[in-house]
Amino acid sequence: MTSRETLAWATLAAPALTAAVICLTPQRLVTRAAVAGACGTAALALALAALALADPGETFADKQIAVDAAGGLLLAVIAVVGLASVLVSPAYLATVRTSLFSVARRQRAYYVVLFAFWTALLGVPIAGNLGVAWLLIEATTAASALLVGFSGKARALEAGWKYLILTSLGLGVALIGIVMLAAGVPGGGLGALSWHALPTYAGEPGTALVAYLLLLAGLAAKIGWAPVHNWLPDAHSEAPPPVSALLSAALLPAVLLVAWRSEHALAPIVGLRTAQDVLLAFGLVSLAVAVPFLWRPMAWKRLLAYSSLEHMGVIALGIGFGTPLALAGVAIHIAAHAVAKSLGFYAATPLLGHDPRAAGHAVTGIGRTQRPLGTTLGISLGTLAGLPPSPLFVSEVLIVAGGFEAGRSWAAAAATALLALGFLGLAHALIETTSGKSHRRDSALAPGLRGVMVLTTVSVALLAGLALAGVWLPGSELVQALTKGIS
Amino acid sequence: MNGALAWVLVALGLGVIGVRRRSVAVALLTVQALILAGIALHDAANGGDVASAFALGLRALGLGALFAILVRRTREPRPVRAATPPMIRAGIAVAFALALTWLVPAMGLDSRTTERAALALVAFGIATAATRRATLFQVMAIVLVENGLALAALGLPGTSALIELGVTLDLTLVVLVAAVFHERIFAEFGAGDSAALRSLRD
Repeated sequence: MTSRETLAWATLAAPALTAAVICLTPQRLVTRAAVAGACGTAALALALAALALADPGETFADKQIAVDAAGGLLLAVIAVVGLASVLVSPAYLATVRTSLFSVARRQRAYYVVLFAFWTALLGVPIAGNLGVAWLLIEATTAASALLVGFSGKARALEAGWKYLILTSLGLGVALIGIVMLAAGVPGGGLGALSWHALPTYAGEPGTALVAYLLLLAGLAAKIGWAPVHNWLPDAHSEAPPPVSALLSAALLPAVLLVAWRSEHALAPIVGLRTAQDVLLAFGLVSLAVAVPFLWRPMAWKRLLAYSSLEHMGVIALGIGFGTPLALAGVAIHIAAHAVAKSLGFYAATPLLGHDPRAAGHAVTGIGRTQRPLGTTLGISLGTLAGLPPSPLFVSEVLIVAGGFEAGRSWAAAAATALLALGFLGLAHALIETTSGKSHRRDSALAPGLRGVMVLTTVSVALLAGLALAGVWLPGSELVQALTKGIS
Repeated sequence: MNGALAWVLVALGLGVIGVRRRSVAVALLTVQALILAGIALHDAANGGDVASAFALGLRALGLGALFAILVRRTREPRPVRAATPPMIRAGIAVAFALALTWLVPAMGLDSRTTERAALALVAFGIATAATRRATLFQVMAIVLVENGLALAALGLPGTSALIELGVTLDLTLVVLVAAVFHERIFAEFGAGDSAALRSLRD
């Protein structure tokens, strides 16, 4: 076994083992066990990500496990967001009044399901096989749906139900595509669906194209690409904030990576231009659907959810353009979106403590009554809007420039216009949220804010680093590896 | 695969979308899954195939029992009325199945009949989810889609026991979680009716 393979299995074993330990731990030690397990899991995942990113030209791939540069990037994102989600969970759990689970079992059940979700999620970017990746994505659905409905409130039940039914049906459609591909790859069996074997598909190109379309349409339901995004705003707004962060910052891009790998593996069969066109279509439609909602006054978490739709569209465009410049933008975009979006969701716990109306209404003037909280919300929203010098501004410039470089001028121009409109909508929300008219006079520190302030400091440092990465990343060995893909 | 058996599976699937009572739909779905398990066992060529067949059979019986328990525990005063009458639902499902089999080219399975039957079951599942309001029927729609996919997997020239067992496990987990939601929705709204879930709109 190579060091990458060993670390990969250890990375998957750590959260699964933690879930088992939490089942057996006395109630008073559950939180400590969760934090210890999260630190261990994140350390292993980050070590594997560091190995993959330090030597991006070298890829390890067999039938079950594949560790490459793109997988390393996503592993790092999932590790960091997962760790932060566990760390802020005690503050969230302290505010819970109702739940799907009884009071005695609530905390334990929450952590067990969270770690089960994290286990499946960590497996997605290192799955060496389309079939295994599908299984892991489906497994995330079962675990995360329970977390979406965790509060047991009517709205959470509705959100969890929609999420479960729509994504399960979507993944069923994706599985038809996978079956069609498996039937056309010589040899059959598990190996037929490995990322290396897929390009050897020997059936009709027309059949491969239909399989690719079904696969992407099915995955789109899980990524939250329009027009099959209906569950996304509901699930992200009703889930516990630490879970919303994992859903938006880690799950969506992890599934998107599977779509990216599928595009890479099948492009030689269906044609590179055609394969990219499908991604560009999903990207532009997602942007076009998201922008009008970014202009509307909306509850904080719901606004962040529509911003996820916009950003998944931007990433799809970057992959669809496929040039080194655009892929450098994609790498920065995935990481910066994860940092800013998870920070925004973590801030929702103190925000709802400060102003419970924020669950259903747009928040205004938080910077006037709760300056630290307003600062956190402002940093999150400003970054997500792409306000210079935010790393998302850098990544969007790189992606659009990559589009023009690829000769996709119309798509790049349309993306520019939509991004500008989205920016204006979020900039207005930013001004209203931080310095609009305040409805409250309570200046006492909101519950859970101290931890979020620490995360804000860390996030600012990470975002600054990512903005600077825009200078050296284009043309780097990492981008060359992203262009080459796993095969 | 026996063509007549494939069409029996399709007829059972069409029954699920048409019948009024949840208990009848559960029975049809369980029989369909058991037939699939029987076909898998009959066609098994190695130990892995036999394990997959037993997993399919266990899944059929397990989910059938779970659905039966759910029907008993969440007795509706009267069946949740679907928005569209049975004949129209069946018509929509058949039209969708025909469109899908026309649009999707030959997949490379062991026979075109298997391909058509598998696609028809997937279409029936999606049509069931779209046209039936009862939450339990929406869960059964997922199982119907997965039964179609299991049928397609049986027609693959080379299969992977790992993937088939994984799909069975995933489906079982999803249905278990859906069962939790179904019971809570019933307790919260007094009926397992997805029409009650319409508060989240923009």
